[in-house]
Amino acid sequence: MDQPAATRKVVVANPSGFHARAALKVLHLVREFAAQVEIVLDRRRASAADMLQMLALGAGQGQELILEATGPQAEEVLDALQSLFAAKFHEEDDGTQNHP
Amino acid sequence: MKRLQGIPVSPGVAIGEALVMDTEGFRIPRQFVARDSVEYELERLRQAIEAACQEIGSNRDVVSRELGEKYGAIFEAHLQILRSAQFCDELEEMIRQRHYAPEYAVSRVMRRYAEVFQKVQSRNLADLADIEKRLLRHLLGRRREELSGLTSPVLVLAHNLTPSETANLDRRFVRGFVTEVGGPGSHTAIVAGALQIPAVVGTGPFLTEVSGGDLVIIDGDKGLVILHPDAETIARYHHEAEQIRSLAARLESLRDLPAETADGVRIELLGNIEFPYEVEHCIQRGADGVGLYRTEFLYLGTEHEPDEEEHFQAYSQVVRAMGSKPVTIRTFDLGADKVPSLPSPEDERNPALGQRSIRLSLRHLPMFRTQLRAILRASTLGDVRIMFPLISTILELRQAKMILADVMEDLEEHHIPFRQDLMVGMMVEVPAAVMMVDHFVEAVDFLSIGTNDLIQYTLAVDRSNKDMVWLYSASDPAVLKLIEQTVRAAQRKSLPVNLCGQMSSSPTYTMLLLGLGLRQLSVPPSAIPEIKKICRGVTIADCEAVARHALTLENARDITNYLKGELRKRFPEFDV
Repeated sequence: MDQPAATRKVVVANPSGFHARAALKVLHLVREFAAQVEIVLDRRRASAADMLQMLALGAGQGQELILEATGPQAEEVLDALQSLFAAKFHEEDDGTQNHP
Repeated sequence: MKRLQGIPVSPGVAIGEALVMDTEGFRIPRQFVARDSVEYELERLRQAIEAACQEIGSNRDVVSRELGEKYGAIFEAHLQILRSAQFCDELEEMIRQRHYAPEYAVSRVMRRYAEVFQKVQSRNLADLADIEKRLLRHLLGRRREELSGLTSPVLVLAHNLTPSETANLDRRFVRGFVTEVGGPGSHTAIVAGALQIPAVVGTGPFLTEVSGGDLVIIDGDKGLVILHPDAETIARYHHEAEQIRSLAARLESLRDLPAETADGVRIELLGNIEFPYEVEHCIQRGADGVGLYRTEFLYLGTEHEPDEEEHFQAYSQVVRAMGSKPVTIRTFDLGADKVPSLPSPEDERNPALGQRSIRLSLRHLPMFRTQLRAILRASTLGDVRIMFPLISTILELRQAKMILADVMEDLEEHHIPFRQDLMVGMMVEVPAAVMMVDHFVEAVDFLSIGTNDLIQYTLAVDRSNKDMVWLYSASDPAVLKLIEQTVRAAQRKSLPVNLCGQMSSSPTYTMLLLGLGLRQLSVPPSAIPEIKKICRGVTIADCEAVARHALTLENARDITNYLKGELRKRFPEFDV
């Protein structure tokens, strides 16, 4: 990826970790913006447009991720993602906390 | 070297390389594609991915609609995994650069991701397995038999074999079966019998100890499986296999002699077949006809319901080959869960007692009528007989016959020829049918006793449950009394009565069955020479004395021991 236009640190706060349904929400959210996002955990990277890469990160509760964005809406997409991580992917809302 | 004891279900000895199928289905072997077919294989991969995506998409929609979006989301996640650019790139790279077959590439890539998921303790490991299975199913489609890419003989080792898996195996190369679960009446047993290859079931878990390509010995006579045999054991089994071949050669000489007892009573020895090609096995052994043509293979291993033409081709091939000898075609005898084109049963907690066989035919009339039309059309080619399975009540039989009459009328209207006088019979395999047999004999042209199910229903024991297999015995006096009662009722009306369960193929029971009055036995073609030899070596009076004594005994073990003793006295060469 080129030099990112914006970066943000987020923490996986929900107990079940960054699992398939959380990744799915990230994927859908990023699509709404004119931006490309990569997620970095330690030295591993995943495109936020690629489900398999995101799952292969295997980020668990409490782990810190770095979000890097490029594109015209780089800032906006990271704002939205930060809220999503902060809201623990709205897991409580769909009542599936223990059943990702 | 490791020995496993299982239940012997099909005799013979096989020594060869293992093909391991685990609970996920086949283990995909290393397979490569030719350079010039890379583009074709890539296209095949793309189509399979597309088909899998479509399927997942519609699952998602149904589940979301019926259970809510959050449940549909897991399918959406699967869909997105399949749409992962990295995943597709890796697959294409393996096919393009390394010339892997798409199936092999999929299993390699999935294996790699599974390792990553495992390392990071991902909760989505099971999702990967699910996606892999789905994708492989689409890639392999109807060509599943090519899956194993068999080019040399193998012994198939599996947890359990489903009917469709066995139906799809490339039989030219399969030399034996072993399954971890299952009993004598399991599907594996029947197919192994049909293929005339040794099989052992119910060994308990062992698949983790063996890999594809390992040397394995299957002893289908003793129920033994030997993993990694040493040189001495291999030599001993080679010697044994040689002796078996020479006994088979001696029995071969009986081929053109009739199955006639020493006192001149002609016994009809018929073949049980599952696949059309087995008609050749019947002819090679001088069978007097086909006593049971199972038609389930038509419905298995295919997504669509077989059409009339497919039925007709399968039937006419066998009928033509048998010439003027009788061919008894049994109508559909499966549960709804085995047939993809039928709606899944909703309340099937107990499939053996549920919607299966004739009950299902009577509920799905278009399917039933298609089969009946094809049988009737084939009836002009020889001596075709129709047999309805699992009849429990008179009403069921009347209903089945009424539909048959209706189909006949339909054919007549369209001037399609068939035999008006073809014989119509039923299987006697539910104890209720025996209780009511005096009524049934008024309504059919013949009876055929199906001992596999009759034993299961009489003794209330699941014939594929290895923990209960001790109770499942053809020697049980209750079973013998039901057989006797059925034969007597048929004799009073001078109706032909046949016995076509596995019981008929065991030499242990031949004298007993003749003594009970049976004059027709239907057996797997491979058993014909042995049973014929016994028929030719006994008199009816002798057999009747054996049957009379057996009926006085009070339990299965005593009866089995008695029958084996009597057999050994007269035929020391049969090691039973």
